[in-house]
Amino acid sequence: MKYLSLILAFTLLSCARSVTRIQPTQAIDLSGRWNDSDSRQVADTMIHQLLSSDKFKEYAKSLGKKPAIIVGLVLNKTSEHIDAENYIKKLELAIYNSNIAEVVESDKFRDKLREERAQQQDFANPTTVAKWGEEVGANVMLFGEMTSETDVYQKRRVVNYIITLFLTDMQTNKRVWYGQQEIKKFIKN
Amino acid sequence: MKLSVLILLLLIAQSCATYYQTTYTFNQEFENGDLPKALSSLQAHSSEANGKRQFLYFVNNGLVLSMLGRYEESNAYFEKAYLFGEDYRINYLNEAASYLTNPNFTSYKGEDHEHLLLLYYKALNYLKMDKTDEALVECRRLNIRLQQLSDRYSSDTKYRHDAFINVLMGIIYEKDKEYNDAFIAYKNAYQIYTNDYHQLFNLSEPDQLKDDILRTAYLSGLTDELESFKSQFNRQDYVYQPDDATLVFFWQNGLSPVKAEWGVNFVISRQGNLLTFSNSELGFSFPFTIEHYDEKERNALTNLRVFRVVFPKYLERPTYYGDAYLKTESGKLPLQLLEDVNQIAFKALEERMVLEFSKALIRLALKKATEYEVRKEDKALGSVLGIINAMTEKADTRNWQTLPHSIHYARVPLKEGENVVTLCLKDSHGQVSEHPFRYVAKKDQVLFHTYSSLESGYPNYGNY
Repeated sequence: MKYLSLILAFTLLSCARSVTRIQPTQAIDLSGRWNDSDSRQVADTMIHQLLSSDKFKEYAKSLGKKPAIIVGLVLNKTSEHIDAENYIKKLELAIYNSNIAEVVESDKFRDKLREERAQQQDFANPTTVAKWGEEVGANVMLFGEMTSETDVYQKRRVVNYIITLFLTDMQTNKRVWYGQQEIKKFIKN
Repeated sequence: MKLSVLILLLLIAQSCATYYQTTYTFNQEFENGDLPKALSSLQAHSSEANGKRQFLYFVNNGLVLSMLGRYEESNAYFEKAYLFGEDYRINYLNEAASYLTNPNFTSYKGEDHEHLLLLYYKALNYLKMDKTDEALVECRRLNIRLQQLSDRYSSDTKYRHDAFINVLMGIIYEKDKEYNDAFIAYKNAYQIYTNDYHQLFNLSEPDQLKDDILRTAYLSGLTDELESFKSQFNRQDYVYQPDDATLVFFWQNGLSPVKAEWGVNFVISRQGNLLTFSNSELGFSFPFTIEHYDEKERNALTNLRVFRVVFPKYLERPTYYGDAYLKTESGKLPLQLLEDVNQIAFKALEERMVLEFSKALIRLALKKATEYEVRKEDKALGSVLGIINAMTEKADTRNWQTLPHSIHYARVPLKEGENVVTLCLKDSHGQVSEHPFRYVAKKDQVLFHTYSSLESGYPNYGNY
């Protein structure tokens, strides 16, 4: 009977789910939205642009020491929820490993440290207590902006993301470095 | 003999019952607001947790427990419902069996909006427990669900964006002081209201949303966007005013529609290998090719002339209260419509109707063709099969029926310390009933409150 073959065909189709581990660097685009490959591309570009920047080297030289960087704010002006931390953390790690600058704690974690330091004053062995007023003040703050422009016509869509990061001197408000990456996508549904 | 007749009658009665009728006791207790009893009735059928209606079992438990203020337990059920949606895979054996019997043979997988709304309840439960990080996880899940929804359909005339869920995401991000993400979510919600919702549901953006956009644009430091929206909303005089604390009040009004059955008579005509099912009254015409059937089956299908097929349809449960507002020391605040769950449910079924028709028609045609073949060989056996086919013919009337008809909200500024906010519900006769609530707020605190009006303006439940 046709039904039996139909049932058999359906049963054979219901095979198990498959999961494959792949290299994190392998680019896979499914929906066309911002994804891990974009974050990685931005991180790689920004790291390269910062480490090879003559302007930044000049700034460090004029300072006479390794500048201390604090991560400030990355404004997201796109209509997608993009977590800037995905590439900012990679950039932080590259700065830390390259030894061109110091990285000081940003506000989210800094408050935790201060809380713990306050606790230490009451409960820790006095010889081991972390002192107040010894924090390293940052020389520059990292800011950024993500913007996107979208053009849609019928089932086609072009999205251009522009990610700009910049370091601003805490004392003078002067920008000491710029990095920029554009990612343009053409999506056909 | 008597026993077999009784069993047959019971089977027939069971086969005719809709999902609402099979869970009638629970529904009555829930609608009467007797939540502890409703929960007991629900949990008395704990075997449903492993059955074909497990999604509904999980979400109903989650919703009732949430209304009882048992948020942790509620979220444990909502998590199960969420995972069910994530891991759902078609069981092809059941799917095939459903073609020979009825669609209730398959697991109920849940409608798109039901999968979104379960995360709304879950996120709100977390917010009420002041677990913002956990609520943010639900927020990210909602974002993925929204993306899946928008990718599934390409037509702008379909429900593929959800404005309310974007507002909810904005509220969660704002609670976490992630003003930039909150602004994006509110802005996206505004676009959906003005484009999709206006066209599909005749629903405009709530005024509160404009305030939400302006406030979060200011708090994110998005000055250009702030100026642009000020002029777009004609609110050039807008100045951000910080409040001591905030109350986010959700009013869940009424009950979502229930599914019932309706039958349609079809006339069948054949032209070559094309079989057309048509109903001239309703203007339906569904052509099917039968070229992949063998000659015997083709003849059997052709021998069908007229038959009746049942489909699911929604029945609205109109709201008892037409309007509501909040009374505070500083005046009245309207509770504005955020989501019309009723209309979304109707829309979702309407979009799927062609598919439902095709599935039901081919299902019944296959059943009838078998019956015809068996009857040719053995008349008595053919008649028995005819009875069984008639008994098993049933539409899928399952849906999440404890959801509200519509969801409204307001953001209420609170002062530090004690506050009294009164919910005023206005019925269709203009009578106002007042429900005062007392809130003690700390500086910068955001409080969440949900009030459900389970009253419904359509008491004729027996017909569901």
